[in-house]
Amino acid sequence: MRLEQRIGPASLRAWGLVLNFFANGLLLYGAIGYVSDGSRVGALGIGALVSLSCVLLLSSPSR
Amino acid sequence: MESPELVELRRLRALPPLRRWLGYFQLGGPGFMDAALTLGAGTLTAAMLSGARFGYKTAWLLWVSMGLGLFMMAAMARFTTRGQGAVALQNRHHGWLVGSLMTALVGTAAVAIIFNYGQYSLGTHLIESLAARVGFHFPRQVNWVLYMAVTSWLTLSYGRGGRRGIRFVETYMKLSIAVMFVAFGACLFVTGVNWPAALRGLFVPWLPPGGYGLDIFVASSAAAIGVMDWFLFNQAGLARGWGREHEPLARFDMSFGLFLPFVIVNFLVLAVFAETLFVSGAHPETAQELAAALEPLLGSTWAPILFYIGFLAVPISTTVGMSIAGAMAIHEAFGWEHDTSRWRWRAAALLPQVGFLAVWYPRPVFLVIAIGAFLSLTDNIVAWSFYLLLNDENAIGEGRSHSRFWNLGLMLQVTLLNSIAIIYVFNRLGWWFE
Repeated sequence: MRLEQRIGPASLRAWGLVLNFFANGLLLYGAIGYVSDGSRVGALGIGALVSLSCVLLLSSPSR
Repeated sequence: MESPELVELRRLRALPPLRRWLGYFQLGGPGFMDAALTLGAGTLTAAMLSGARFGYKTAWLLWVSMGLGLFMMAAMARFTTRGQGAVALQNRHHGWLVGSLMTALVGTAAVAIIFNYGQYSLGTHLIESLAARVGFHFPRQVNWVLYMAVTSWLTLSYGRGGRRGIRFVETYMKLSIAVMFVAFGACLFVTGVNWPAALRGLFVPWLPPGGYGLDIFVASSAAAIGVMDWFLFNQAGLARGWGREHEPLARFDMSFGLFLPFVIVNFLVLAVFAETLFVSGAHPETAQELAAALEPLLGSTWAPILFYIGFLAVPISTTVGMSIAGAMAIHEAFGWEHDTSRWRWRAAALLPQVGFLAVWYPRPVFLVIAIGAFLSLTDNIVAWSFYLLLNDENAIGEGRSHSRFWNLGLMLQVTLLNSIAIIYVFNRLGWWFE
């Protein structure tokens, strides 16, 4: 994946940071429910999966 | 003609590791400046509270949090050794809102002014307590003049007479850290160390259950070092004239000048409180109360005096570091030359001295809340900006990151700073834990 490719006003790498931010929000929202009463497992799972994917993908250096 | 420092660096590179490191230690400085800046009233109060409440159990957070912060410091070292000012780079590639405003004016200069209230409050209290210990009455309503004179003189010494003034302040910072080592180490010698508990605390992760544990983890891991530390390391390195050949020195400096002193000093303080207040079950809240509660538990006469001397080095060095960082930030934000002989520099450097008002008044709450909110919501954007610049060939050419490991560390730091912003918003919405 070419992370330096521009899509609209920003590079794919910058859009990845935005997606990671929202995934982190979902992860924390799920974590609140899970720690409080065991609920929101779905939000926690999706948030964790997308966050992890973003972190790993955005770790690639540019070529 | 080549500078003597470059010749010395080349000579050191050929030496075996231990002798090379000794040479690097003498040449280093910006990392120690950062350590002295970071080891302030807030950080040390957090270490005291952790020790008093949880014993050694959260000691592992010290090296994990600072270790994560080193990835961003390495990015600063790269910008510096390529001759790039971080804020100038941001202004050029991401706009003045991210560079001049978020990083320089609010992230550094405003923080230096507002957070110096805490240093003044602690510093003058410690002078009063220390004077009382040796039989003098020297109340904080008077001794703030001494605090202001010493910290202003040290701040204005930076850059006085060129490199000599820079080295003088850097050496002062190294000595301050040495004083903290000796003073807190001596206190720990008096209290003793429960080594099995200490080693378990350092290497086995533990957090209190529920939302409180999540709070502690996110706050400690993301807040060990922040925008001001990144900025100061970059600018202090540029002031020293660091270039491409200084990168190994810069990396040594951030590891041995920042990482190790941060972890060791915090651990010593945490351990002193784990061995005393945690065992006795007392739970004071502020730095002043914590120090007062510790005093009788240290027993002999000299141990509390040493503790106060070591503790006094904390706010003084932080005030000096913050004042220099604040002046640099104001100059960078407006694109002014850093001329330390001009009145403009002196005025900018002395702005944080308004913190002397803390002797009579609490910090201006609305400003603390406003700046706290701004920092919580923007530190992550500043981190995004540095991550993007490090990966942008147009910004730093071949100096860009070629390492997946380095980028991974930066992304973990970014994710933790995102969490701070998100938790801030959740708190406002009433979604976070009570």
